[in-house]
Amino acid sequence: MSGIVQDKKYRDRQKRKDFFITVFIAIFAFIWMVPLLWTFFTSLRPYSDVIQNGVFSKPSSIGIQNYINAYDRMEIWEYLSNSFIVAIPAVVLTLFFGSLMAFVVTRYSFKFNLYLLLLFTAGNLLPVQLVYAPLFKMYIWIGELFGNRNLLYDSFIGLILVHVALQMGFATFVMSSYMKTIPKEISESALLDGASVFRHYWNVILPLLRPPLAALSVLMTTWIYNEFFWAIVLIKSDSKRPITSALGRLQGEFVTDFNLLAAGAIMAALPTLIIFFILKRQFVSGLTLGSTKG
Amino acid sequence: MSNEVTENGVSRRTVLKGAALGGLGLVGGGTLLSSCGSDEATGPVTFTARTNDETGLKIAQALADAYKAETGIDVTMQGSGDTNAFQDGISQYLQGTPDDVFQWMAGFRTNFRADQGLLADLSDNISNLGDQMPEGFVSGATNPSDGKQYIIPTTWYPWGLHYRKSTMIELGLDPENIQTWDDFMKLLEGTQKKGLIGYAMGDKGGWEAMGTFSIINTRMNGYDYHIDLLNGRAKWTDQATIDVFNQFAMLIPYMNKNFLDISWDGMRDLLLQKKCGAMMMGSWWANDFLAKSQEDYDDLWIVPFPEINPEFGRDSIDAPVDGVSVASNGSNVEGGKAFAEWIGSEAGMLAAQAAGDTSLYANSRLDTSGYDAFNKQKLAVIGEAKNVMNFLDRDCRNDFAGTIVGPAIQNFLKAPKDVNKIVDGMQEAWDALPPLE
Repeated sequence: MSGIVQDKKYRDRQKRKDFFITVFIAIFAFIWMVPLLWTFFTSLRPYSDVIQNGVFSKPSSIGIQNYINAYDRMEIWEYLSNSFIVAIPAVVLTLFFGSLMAFVVTRYSFKFNLYLLLLFTAGNLLPVQLVYAPLFKMYIWIGELFGNRNLLYDSFIGLILVHVALQMGFATFVMSSYMKTIPKEISESALLDGASVFRHYWNVILPLLRPPLAALSVLMTTWIYNEFFWAIVLIKSDSKRPITSALGRLQGEFVTDFNLLAAGAIMAALPTLIIFFILKRQFVSGLTLGSTKG
Repeated sequence: MSNEVTENGVSRRTVLKGAALGGLGLVGGGTLLSSCGSDEATGPVTFTARTNDETGLKIAQALADAYKAETGIDVTMQGSGDTNAFQDGISQYLQGTPDDVFQWMAGFRTNFRADQGLLADLSDNISNLGDQMPEGFVSGATNPSDGKQYIIPTTWYPWGLHYRKSTMIELGLDPENIQTWDDFMKLLEGTQKKGLIGYAMGDKGGWEAMGTFSIINTRMNGYDYHIDLLNGRAKWTDQATIDVFNQFAMLIPYMNKNFLDISWDGMRDLLLQKKCGAMMMGSWWANDFLAKSQEDYDDLWIVPFPEINPEFGRDSIDAPVDGVSVASNGSNVEGGKAFAEWIGSEAGMLAAQAAGDTSLYANSRLDTSGYDAFNKQKLAVIGEAKNVMNFLDRDCRNDFAGTIVGPAIQNFLKAPKDVNKIVDGMQEAWDALPPLE
């Protein structure tokens, strides 16, 4: 824009445009926020109030009692630590393997580079429910091979491996897009100085990957933290399940106190919100990484 | 599945009256003791509760603790994480490394897994329980393919017509004295004339209206026909089945118009807010009336669905039975069996009740003297029935009930005139199903 001569008419037009865009964004931001705000509002009301007057009514009383009850019931710290026992190694491993993969497909030219990359990206598009049954059988089978059915099934290791396998496609895709923007000359001079393949990766390319690594680690921690499907189908012991499962404690077999559940959901979502606000910049840059090239 | 036991009605009524069978009690106690003394049942046992809510877990933990206090055997209890996920993933659960004992439901969901060899045979434990386990429940828990039991019944609830006593008094109607279908139609008409919804319906989930379908079918064609229909021995295209749909269609004008937008809890709210006359549902949500106020709870009532064909009267009812099963892949099957048997026994029932369980128990030693009027009425409603259904989605194969019958009834409610097309589609879908093995 800076190279264009800005006369008054143009500026006015631009202002009007900006105004409409702002209104547009405000409306959509509002639509997005309504469910969240409604959940928050619900979490402050007692269940009996909703039963008596319906969901769309003026609350008779507002308080944090639901939060206190939810905290008491959820055993939140145990489940929270399970979540991080799974999420942290899973994210570290995903980024390590993803960057290795991206390094190979962008820095070296093999015949199958593009196909490899396509395979990883396409794998991303598979719905997880599709691979669930075979994966379950495989876990049991591998476990039986080693004489312990619980080697992968109902174990943290199995859950971490699933996350690594499923998230790696996306990590590879993003990092390879980013790596393509790193000048070839850097690699050439590294090779000229006699760097081995691993040294080339570890000392030359990896330090340059800091922005996508930061962005991806934030995104993936959030995704894995919020994940529920694998945790419920591959983990049998409730004591090993992540925080998403703790919410199940707030639900009844038939009748659910949605106000209590709302309070629990907001508490469970807090860590991701905190991570988001601390690392907001990486989060946003992560969404557009590599979008200019590749 | 086929639990047509004529004596059942008698035994239920005995339960209802709370008549203690003193003499027989001794026999039952004796068998219970002898079973506890069996030598294989040692070592710690693991136990999964089907639910994950506070009350459910508290009761399950109380069972574990009481068993430990009585026998010295350790029981580790855990929640299922999520009731629906647990139910949907039960095959994987059982093929993996399941806990020894888990809370489960009678009917197809048990028998199908039993046929696959995933559940341990509990027939001996059922016979150990002797007269504590009424025959109706035993036959309801029997797998038709081999005549054995793979679940020990613990609790149940009835499906019936729920209404508010005050609303009916205001309207000058008396649902308790409905004898015939015509009377019932008059009742619905009367409710509607006063500006209320005659017959509340919410079928968003696809299963809620199955209750109405099943009860009309058993009232018109009898229990045997209903079970035959659900298991492919009668046809959906039979005139008898079409007649059921046509009878069902007579209720549609009295329903709320948004029946596909609300689920069972929407129906409950209609009744809570005094917007409807009658609703056909299982009585598991009565505590919500209590949450509103004691007055609302006292206002709630249940009666059996009215008679249609005098040949069958009101002899059938939907009363899904819950219980405990033992996984054959568990690490301590014998210990699991003994624990499951204990849960089904009087001692197990008393431990659960001490922990605050207000469910109706299958065990014949159930002491109903402390029951409130509504719970006693629930017993009365089932006491009249000779045949107990487990509800459509447990009486029939899962890949037919949820995926075919549910949407078909939804389509029927939207366009009752298309009934012929709908039953054709259902029969075609049934014929196209692969055999179960």
